[in-house]
Amino acid sequence: MLRQKRQILSLATRDYFHEWQISICFVLALAAVLGPMMVLFGLKFGIVGSMIEELVEDPVKREIRPVGSGHYDRVWMDKLHKRDDVAFIVPRIRSIASSLSAQSEAGGRILHLEVIPSAPGDPLLDASLPAPDGLDKVVLSASAARKLQLSAGDTLEGSLVRTWQGRKERVVLSLKIVAIAPATAFRRDGLFASVMLVEALEDFRDGHAVPALGWEGSPAVKERTYTGFRLYARSIYDVAALEDSFERSGIEVRTQAADIETVRRMDNTLSAIYWAIALIGLGGFSLSLGASLWANVDRKRKELSVLRLVGFRTGEIVLFPLVQGLYTGVFGWILACGIYLAAAWSINAMLAPQLEKAQKICRLLPEHYLIALGITLGAALLAAILAGMRAARVEPSEGLREL
Amino acid sequence: MRESASDIIYQLKNVARVRESNGYAFSLRVPSLRIQRGEKIALIGESGCGKSTLLDMLAFILRPTELEDFSFHARGGRVDIGEAWSKRRRNRLAALRKAHLGYVMQTGGLLPFLNVHDNINLSRRMLGMEDDGTVRTLARELGLTRHLHKLPSALSTGERQRVAIGRALAHRPAIVIADEPTASVDPFAAEKIMSLFIGMVEEMNITVIVASHAWRHIKQLGLRRLAHHTRKSPDGRMTETVVSG
Repeated sequence: MLRQKRQILSLATRDYFHEWQISICFVLALAAVLGPMMVLFGLKFGIVGSMIEELVEDPVKREIRPVGSGHYDRVWMDKLHKRDDVAFIVPRIRSIASSLSAQSEAGGRILHLEVIPSAPGDPLLDASLPAPDGLDKVVLSASAARKLQLSAGDTLEGSLVRTWQGRKERVVLSLKIVAIAPATAFRRDGLFASVMLVEALEDFRDGHAVPALGWEGSPAVKERTYTGFRLYARSIYDVAALEDSFERSGIEVRTQAADIETVRRMDNTLSAIYWAIALIGLGGFSLSLGASLWANVDRKRKELSVLRLVGFRTGEIVLFPLVQGLYTGVFGWILACGIYLAAAWSINAMLAPQLEKAQKICRLLPEHYLIALGITLGAALLAAILAGMRAARVEPSEGLREL
Repeated sequence: MRESASDIIYQLKNVARVRESNGYAFSLRVPSLRIQRGEKIALIGESGCGKSTLLDMLAFILRPTELEDFSFHARGGRVDIGEAWSKRRRNRLAALRKAHLGYVMQTGGLLPFLNVHDNINLSRRMLGMEDDGTVRTLARELGLTRHLHKLPSALSTGERQRVAIGRALAHRPAIVIADEPTASVDPFAAEKIMSLFIGMVEEMNITVIVASHAWRHIKQLGLRRLAHHTRKSPDGRMTETVVSG
């Protein structure tokens, strides 16, 4: 019976294009609902999307920092590091110990640098540039690099002073700058160093010996504890849960959870508003499509009766409005995409001066177009099946003698 | 004409269609009807007497409300139409129509979105019949050659009726049923179309059942006229037509 199915397909197609005025009306009616819906969603997606992007792209929003100082050991840190929602963690030492005086030949002045413990994968640093490593490779903050007139590949003279056994001691170490951190990563004068180097600086200040650097002192530390940590959640959505878990274990932390929550709530609100409008739109759209397909079956009673009379089977008669519904769906969708693209382009062009480059206030992903197509065809199919069942119930003798 | 059981194409016994609406009742009763293969049958009567009802039942597009026996003898053997209706096997009836039946209606019945050629070719295409020139030959005989690529809306009523005749005959059905095929054209054209039609079915050896309100047009064409009489109740609320033959 494949032949007859093909035939009904071609008959429905010819009828659809023969009655092109009516078909255009159906397509316009559909696009008039679907197009604005896509623009609405594009706006929602674009606005919330760029806000979230800002949040996601700014690692500071993912940072979780302990308030005050505590005692954390390596095992505890490693356990945290293994958590899925933790992207990065390095231990921090007493802030008083984590500083270094630096001088460069070019800069000529002495600069007091904060030493920030870091490791490969540090969210503040550019992942494509080398990370601080070992006891001599460091990354300089942009502000310090400017003041010292240093760039990647240069060498930096760091000096460190302690009072030990009543004597004032000073050591100098030569550090290789492997990269300069992005300006947004750290605004002050700072130095990103490996945990190993940070520990060495602390040991020296505390009067311990650092054999690796040839510094003398009391015996090396056996069990080290840290006063804090630098921790970044995997995503902004993990921050709140991590904060909870720290609070539960008695560690007070500070996060950007409130900011994140604001955006999330806004996303939820906008989504809810959007879905309310979309559902109403979809309902109205399905009803209008259904009503027009239904009415069309009535209008075509005579043709459908003729098709029945010449011997088409019930299943094939149902195909007739179905095929036409699909045509309306596909053409309506194409037109709606056109409406959306035109509207999105004008909105983005209008707001372009207020936006950062490449930022779009109204945008959709390719999958959104496909979802729109899917929903449209789904609604069209449903309406057409109902209409088709009605078509199948048309008694051939009923419609034949209508003029 | 030989009278043998194998040549019977329709056999009806106590078949009726009763319809009631707004307190009025219309009934068509067929106590007994036998139609032989190759017969030419005429059903003559005023409009509203139930001719179309009988034709639609014979074309398997209208379900009888009562029946004792309604069988159709296709080339493949006897088919119980009553059983097909009661078992709602509508696709079985559709298949019978497609293979064995042609139907010419009083007006139109053409698909407005197909040109004359494709309208005539509709049933042939459904049956997967090759293009062997039948459509062109029919069009020539019906005087439609220059209209083959026009849509029905571009034709006159008489031309459309000729297209409908072409479509009913194109797939060489065993039976052609025609319901007042010439009622909507002027009497002169009607006579011409009717004799053309009857001539063609005769030549193709097709059984034909034709309804008309004017016996005058067709009495010289050699058709067997079915006997029927219509009765009305005194208050006019009941109309009953009995057909037999």
